[in-house]
Amino acid sequence: MSDASYLSLQKLTLAYGDTVAVPDLDLDIAKGELIALLGPSGCGKTTTMRAVAGLLPVKSGHVRLDGADITHVSPNKRAVGLVFQSYALFPHLSVYENVAFGLKLKGLRGAELDKKVRSGLTSVGLSTFADRKPAELSGGQQQRVALARSMVMEPKVLLLDEPLSNLDARLRLEMRTELQRVQKETGVTMIFVTHDQAEALALADRIVVMKAGKIEQIGSPEDIYNRPVSSFVADFVGFENIFPLENGRLRTASGLEELSSQPPSAAGLAWRPRMVSLGTGPFRGTVRGTSFAGDSREYLLDTPLGAIKAEVEASAPAHPLGAELAFDLPAHKAAPLSTFS
Amino acid sequence: MNSNTLARSLFIPIILFLVIAFLIGPFLIIVAASFSAGDTLAFPPQGFSLRWIAKVFTVESFRASFGMSLFLAIGGTAAALVLGIPASYALSRYKLPGAEVIRTVVSAPIIVPGIIVGLALLRYIVVPFQVGITLALFLAHTALVLPYAVRVVSASLDNLRSDIEEAAVLLGSSRTGAFFRVVMPNIRGGILSAFILGFVTSFNQVPVSLFLSGPGVRTLPVDMIAYMEIVFDPSVAALSALLAFLSIGIVFAAERFLGFSRYV
Amino acid sequence: MFQNRAEALALALPAAIFAAAVFLVPVIILLSDGFRDPVGGWTISAYTDFFSNSLNQTVFLRTLRLGAIVTVVSAVIGYAAAFAIVSLEPATKGKITGLVVLPLMISPVARTYAWIVILGRTGIVNQAFQALGITDAPLRILFSETAIFIGLLQLFLPLMIISLISALENMPKDAIPAARVLGANWFQVFWKVVLPLTKEGLVIGGTLVFTGSLTAYITPAILGGSKVLMLETLMYQQVSVSGNFVAASVIAFILIVMSFAANILLKRVATARNKVRSQG
Repeated sequence: MSDASYLSLQKLTLAYGDTVAVPDLDLDIAKGELIALLGPSGCGKTTTMRAVAGLLPVKSGHVRLDGADITHVSPNKRAVGLVFQSYALFPHLSVYENVAFGLKLKGLRGAELDKKVRSGLTSVGLSTFADRKPAELSGGQQQRVALARSMVMEPKVLLLDEPLSNLDARLRLEMRTELQRVQKETGVTMIFVTHDQAEALALADRIVVMKAGKIEQIGSPEDIYNRPVSSFVADFVGFENIFPLENGRLRTASGLEELSSQPPSAAGLAWRPRMVSLGTGPFRGTVRGTSFAGDSREYLLDTPLGAIKAEVEASAPAHPLGAELAFDLPAHKAAPLSTFS
Repeated sequence: MNSNTLARSLFIPIILFLVIAFLIGPFLIIVAASFSAGDTLAFPPQGFSLRWIAKVFTVESFRASFGMSLFLAIGGTAAALVLGIPASYALSRYKLPGAEVIRTVVSAPIIVPGIIVGLALLRYIVVPFQVGITLALFLAHTALVLPYAVRVVSASLDNLRSDIEEAAVLLGSSRTGAFFRVVMPNIRGGILSAFILGFVTSFNQVPVSLFLSGPGVRTLPVDMIAYMEIVFDPSVAALSALLAFLSIGIVFAAERFLGFSRYV
Repeated sequence: MFQNRAEALALALPAAIFAAAVFLVPVIILLSDGFRDPVGGWTISAYTDFFSNSLNQTVFLRTLRLGAIVTVVSAVIGYAAAFAIVSLEPATKGKITGLVVLPLMISPVARTYAWIVILGRTGIVNQAFQALGITDAPLRILFSETAIFIGLLQLFLPLMIISLISALENMPKDAIPAARVLGANWFQVFWKVVLPLTKEGLVIGGTLVFTGSLTAYITPAILGGSKVLMLETLMYQQVSVSGNFVAASVIAFILIVMSFAANILLKRVATARNKVRSQG
């Protein structure tokens, strides 16, 4: 076992009945990494996570953890923790008993049990809530109980299902910091599933973008954000102007278009709205929509190329609806895409 | 106050009074009649005595049939729950082939009139297999309560998130252990409600038991009907009143402590 | 959703097999008896025989008639009562609803028995009528269709009321004021707004009351006596007095067909509504 493949999914195929949800997935995760599985719903990210936990039987392929093949190890013997999206706290047990649940099954009793439960609760800042029932806690508190309940088991891998999606914006930031702190302090390998690119970018060491059961791209947040390899990833991380490239020219709604400068060789090019230069350039478009977002202003243009989204500094003069504008799609700013779908 | 609101403010109490008098009144009359001192059933009661209420406890056949009904209501409901809880669990938590067929089969006894169930059981179970009447009654009451057990337990399982079982398993519990540690404690109210509903249904049931009676083996309501065809004294009224108070007491206690109506 | 089929079947099959063995199979055999030709093969002659008997015709029509009348009357009273109840303050509403539901917990034998005291020869009604000089001799109310009707209505009215209460409570709050503002009178409000919006509850309540009335045994047995029979009491007589199991099977089949027809009607109307809802 190398350090880079502490958790290793090898040719993993997962299915619900006869419907294959994830075909032949290969993924290596290093010890102590914080990985995000990112993708739209139905992309197989949750399925993959459930297979790692052992909640979904594997159709073929292997799951290896810490040098051992755990493909057919039952979920209660895997040392894998899971924080559910709904938290899945036991409603009839107090916060203390929830955290103690797994430890008791491990055979811990008395002072040793109490010490572990207390320190687990303290580490998530809930030591004064020990006697409350889950229903008496806020969403954020419930999630921290779920986190403590998993962490006191000292899992080799901690899985988190959409950990921030049920929280409001303020709690989200708090929880994000909390997760990073727990990860740093314990060194646990963490995998979280999300459909929110901002969440993945902010939290993960490495992001695995999935589409239709397959890995579309693996990379650091910078890679994913700046250098998407496919039109799918580009679209997912906010490149709104995406075109295929044919013989150095853009394939657009009105046929092949020459760019203002020589493009790199790629299957397609993608521009974020703020990469579009407005005011000068070889293309023309009509303002169809405009929205003001404080620092910036976004325009939706009707152009012979198709719809174009452009973003400029809010301090620039505003253009009214119906105004005709020149614009450019500078080739040197575009992200080159190696696959286009 | 215009004529419209005046009409409405009169209409509501009058309607409610009439409807409730119609629904509850006869029961109150039964209660009153059972305190009568006279020898025949009459209202207004002739004098006041507790003799008919006392008599209920001395009639041998009432005691035997009460015991039988109690046994059927408790045993049949318990058996229906033993069969129904696992079935409800499978129907609510598993992707089960033929789930709709199974659901229909276990709920069917509720749709078919009880008298038919009783007759079918008599002719095709009791007679050919030499099954005793008591066992046949037990089977019939279990089948009768099964739909209620499945319905009420399913409803409380559907209200419980299924991921808590997965959470328990990931924390080291076996699947069976997860059921008893985290599912059972959370559907206890539903199970108790199913028990009470099943008990009341079974205890008050007549048509299923009509054909299933033998020497000295009868359920209480069937026995009461037989008694009132022969004797016209207030003891059946007294017994009715006692049973009614028993049912109401149980249901009230259930509502108070369990929130019974959430499940039914 | 767990995937393990063997586990699921192991959990569900005992109940299904029990219900099939104790209930489904015997009932199916019983029902098939009515179609069996004594000399072999199948026939519907038992059915033609049954319906050619004038007593049976009377009983069949009486059962249908009583079922229909009880359903219609309970719907009329049910709407009035449900309207009155939903217009109450929440606390009072809970108590009154409790009083409406209460009789359901009481043994039907006890509930029906009470009518003997009220409707009997020396019962309250006859005492009152004679005291008021309406009649000289006691009226024979007991052991008649009227007595059965009263008994069934009392037995099943609560089911109609609670179905309509929940239907009225699920009705959009502003529907009635909106219709009034648009100029509808109270009759139009009921016919054009309330009835369509509570149809589902009416159908549920109606099916419960109708099938309950068809298949009631205790009420016709106690209040109808041995002369005024309904299908269930006729079936009991055929078995216990005449030992005619074929006729019993025919009656059983008729009862089940009528109950199922009412149930299917309920589902039809409910799904028809759902379709409209999903389109809109």
